[in-house]
This record gives sequence, C-alpha cells and structure tokens, in this order.
Amino acid sequence: MEAGNSLLDDFVLGLTGVERPKVCFLPSASGDADHYVVRFYRAFSTVRCEPSHVSLFRRDKGAGLGADLASHLLAQDLIYVGGGSVVSLLGVWRAHGLDDVLRRCWERGIVLCGLSAGSLCWFGEAVTAFHGPPQRVTGLGLLPYSNCVHYDGEQERREAYHRFLAAGMAPGYAASDGAALHFRGGSLARVVSSRPQAAAYWVEEVRSAVSEVALPVRWLGESRALTAA
Amino acid sequence: MGGGGFTAEPSNPALDDYILSLARRREPRILFLPTASGDPNAQIAAFRGTFGDRACRPRHLSLFRLEREQDDLRALILAQDIVYVGGGSMRNLLAIWREHGLDRILREAWEDGVVLAGLSAGGMCWFEHGITCSTGRPAPVRGLGFLPGSFSVHYDGDPTRRPVFLDAIARGAMPDGYGADDGAGLLFEGRTLARIVSSRPAARAYRVEARADAEVDETALKPILLAGAAGAAGRSVPADIREFRAARYGAGGRRR
Repeated sequence: MEAGNSLLDDFVLGLTGVERPKVCFLPSASGDADHYVVRFYRAFSTVRCEPSHVSLFRRDKGAGLGADLASHLLAQDLIYVGGGSVVSLLGVWRAHGLDDVLRRCWERGIVLCGLSAGSLCWFGEAVTAFHGPPQRVTGLGLLPYSNCVHYDGEQERREAYHRFLAAGMAPGYAASDGAALHFRGGSLARVVSSRPQAAAYWVEEVRSAVSEVALPVRWLGESRALTAA
Repeated sequence: MGGGGFTAEPSNPALDDYILSLARRREPRILFLPTASGDPNAQIAAFRGTFGDRACRPRHLSLFRLEREQDDLRALILAQDIVYVGGGSMRNLLAIWREHGLDRILREAWEDGVVLAGLSAGGMCWFEHGITCSTGRPAPVRGLGFLPGSFSVHYDGDPTRRPVFLDAIARGAMPDGYGADDGAGLLFEGRTLARIVSSRPAARAYRVEARADAEVDETALKPILLAGAAGAAGRSVPADIREFRAARYGAGGRRR
C-alpha cells in the first residue's frame, strides 16, 4: 500500500494464483485506524479482488461478518496485516483467538503477508522499537527465525538487533523499506522489492561476531521499466 | 463511570471536573489512555479540547501509534496525578495492557495514590469482572481486580447488558457488584465505595446481589448530583490564564 507504487500489492495478489482473490485486511496493529482501512480499499479495489477487513475494536459493527471471524478468515486467499505496534497487535489477536486461527489459515495455504508489525508477527522473535528503546518480542512463530524491519531507516534498531543476536536471539532476516521476504512454508523462496535500492539480509551470530549477508533482491519494477523504455 | 465525561457527553463537564477535583495537586497531571478504542485521533482531540482549557496538564498515551516523544511507560504513568481511561472494547483493552505490562504499572500507580478513572470499558476494567460487548454479544469478562466485585455500565443506554449481568451474578459466574447508568460515577477510596455522583438528575447506580434462590436483588442508589451538571457553566479557564499555562508548560500543556 505504498503511495503511487502498487508493485508489492500486485505481487502478493499474484501469489494467490486466483484471478479475483478474496483479500482480508487486518488493521489491528494500528488500532483499526479508519484512514488505514480506507487506504486498503483504495489499493485493493473490487476491480481486481474481493476485499474485506476485520475490525477487532468494533466487532459488533463489523463489515457484515457476523460473529464468525474464524470461518471468514479461513475462506480468504490472502490475508494482509497492516503496520503499527506489534506488541498491541499480538495482544489483541491472542484475546480474540486469532493467533490460532491464523496458524490454521497458514496451514491451509492461504497467503499471509504484511508490513512492519505485519511482518514481524509471523516470526518466532522480532525487534520492535515502538515505545522507547528497541525491545525483543515473541511472535506467532510460524517462521522459526527472527525478523527486523525498517533496517535502512533506523540505525538504533539495527544495533539493537545485533545486540539481541549476540544475546541468543534466533538468526533471521532483516529487510529495508520496500523489500519483501517471500517464504514458502518455512523456507525463504526469494526477496523482491518495490524500490531499486531496497535490501534484505540474513543476519546471524558467527563466532561471537554478527554477520550480515546481503540477499539477492529482484526489483519488481524492472520489467515495467524495460517495457516503458 | 457508567458512561459520561467528554467522550460521551461533551457539553456536560460535571464528571470530568469532578475527576480533576479528586487529584492531590491543584493543577494535576492527567493522562488519557484511549487504548480500548484503538487510540482514535478523534478521541485524543476531544480530550485535548476538554482538558486543554482546564486547570491541569493533559497528555495522552497511544499504544498503537508511534509518538514523537518516546517514553518509559512506567515513569510516565507514575508521574501522573490522574489516569483517565476511555471506552471501547474491554477485552482488547486488557489484552493490550497486559502485553505492554501496564496492568502491573497501573496497580503500582494506584497503590501510590494516583487517581484512576474511566468510563465504560475504562470504568469496568478496575473491577474483578465486567460485561463486554467486544465480540458482538454482551458477555462477562475478567478485569484487573483492583476493586472488589463486578461492574456493568450503560445500564440505561445499552439495555442488552443488564440481563446478562444479572444472570451472571444470579448463577454465581460473577461476584456481586454495581451497575451504573450513563452519567453516574462510583468513587472508591481504596477498595471501599465512598460516594456516588452524577452529571444528570435521572442517572442512578445499582447494587446487585445474588440471593440464595438463584435470583438477584437489585437496589437503586441515588447519586449526589454534581454542581455544574446538565448544562450549568463549567470551570472554563480565562484566556489570559490559558496563555500563561501555555507559556509555562508548552502548547497543549505538554510536560517537559
């Protein structure tokens, strides 16, 4: 949902293999912010998918979903999780049993994606820097690695990630803004990006030093740029 | 509060002024927690609009949106004189607080003498149990348990809660407790009910107790009608005093 850049949105829709996929947006990490929900419906219009969203703060006034959240989510082709606070996100999800439902969605083969907090949540551990200094947080654990986002933008976050790895955090993946890690099951299939300069890294502690291995990134705009030229 | 204050009755400042009067300081630090509604901007703006003009130093804490100033949550909360919790989903509120460790911090603040206030979900959260509509239908939910018993809100405004509340108490699923209409507020000192107040003449509170025959006794309690309630002029601050405060604390009364 980047402004004026639909490359990653197109990419996740393509992963479903369905011509007009059912897409559900979970804005929980932002407290179900209205403006974010509007942005979602703009980016994922009814022209190319069947969009819906789930609000966990206004469930009585939800988008015609009734009480059965689980069956709605299990019927999707793509679930898109918005950014915000990953700590608040996980708290609300657990309170509504969504941690369990999303695992079942994943096992069923539904494409799960998201940015920022919506990326961190799928991993075993993650680095969040929402309130005060960066801290470790335990995610849903569908992917048995750690994750750090906004890796180019915030130096403090990178340093904290290295410190946590040295202190025993599981090795994992770091991504800059615009870079997307695509996993099939528990394995990284490829890294794609919406911006030519975006980067992603495999980060681990090797013999008491943190090693950062840059991963090959395919810019999704390349084919378009060539066509345009 | 069973409902009331700036988010529920914006033109009736009686309950909000009463909350300010309970603080240990003349110009108290008051922190608004809009967590139960997901920190919506409109609620935060309404808080600023109401308390920005009053004799206090208002501030809010968002657990969803990154604020410019980053704070140690514990230090921030323990520095307050009043913590004011907004309405919304009680289930979400407590889950998010626990995840951030706010349940423990708020207990510490309460034991330290900070006034804890709130409406709807923000009123029920302090008790052992409340009635939440977080999943669509009213259902009992556990609170923080600082205050004994149970509490159900919007007794008049949302009549779907009352039967569920009475039934849960009759069955013993929830302890005896209180109900409150919109506009009624219960003041506890420590764990003891000290006073019932209201911002509307008709608002009532109720004591609900289980009986041996699996029914309940429901007793209406008449609150003290607050001065300034229902339309009377509030304690609005003159422009020169407001300017003085802005110079002293920064725009909007932000603490440095």
